Amino acid sequence: MITFNCTVQEGIVPEDLRPRLASELARITTGFVGGNPDEVSVNWIEIPHGFGFRGGRLSTTSAVRGEIPPGLQQETRVELMKSLQDMWMDLTGCTTDELVVSARDRRDN
Amino acid sequence: MPNYRCFIPKDALSFDQRQEIALAFTDIHCGSTGAPRSFVSVTFLETPEGQTHEHGQGYYLDGGNRAGRSEEVKQQLLSDLTQAFAKIANVPADDIPGRITENPASWTMEGGFVLPEPGQEGAEWYAAAAAD
Repeated sequence: MITFNCTVQEGIVPEDLRPRLASELARITTGFVGGNPDEVSVNWIEIPHGFGFRGGRLSTTSAVRGEIPPGLQQETRVELMKSLQDMWMDLTGCTTDELVVSARDRRDN
Repeated sequence: MPNYRCFIPKDALSFDQRQEIALAFTDIHCGSTGAPRSFVSVTFLETPEGQTHEHGQGYYLDGGNRAGRSEEVKQQLLSDLTQAFAKIANVPADDIPGRITENPASWTMEGGFVLPEPGQEGAEWYAAAAAD
């Protein structure tokens, strides 16, 4: 099972864009690690204005945290994260300093 | 990273308190680890009365950091964060449980770069981080 938890700040990522982002997260990730894109779970957590900070200031950063099957080679993991980053920036218009992407090994405990 | 999630009861903290806590956490984390300030995320998640969150009820500090620091550093960091939160929120520190979990830095890309392991940052990485 591949899972993404996407934490976004209120007003930064429009709701009507989220299905496309979710679809691309699934497509790109299964392209690297295998699996069925339809079985990728994408959860959205929207942080209300005034509840998210970065560097002590109000945040505009989105965090895209993926859990993938364990054992991916680091070189491939970096390519995956870079692909996810490029897609997200392309679709949302955010900058590199407004995005955190992770691809963590899934813990089965 | 780091990413600090503060679970709080609904309407427990004003905006000014949340901002003050976020600044305090940034100061404490960067003072302890040397990390760039712009990398410190602090999020407040409210729990409506009568409901529970993933760690139970009431206040909870859930930190996620890069792996590789000593247990002593982690415990001191959590203690300092808890004390700061308690003072600003006017809540007894004993009522604020928390934890710091870790993941390998190489599993995260931030500011366009794969995060270096603690102690492996180097001048080039700090310069790039500061430019963001």
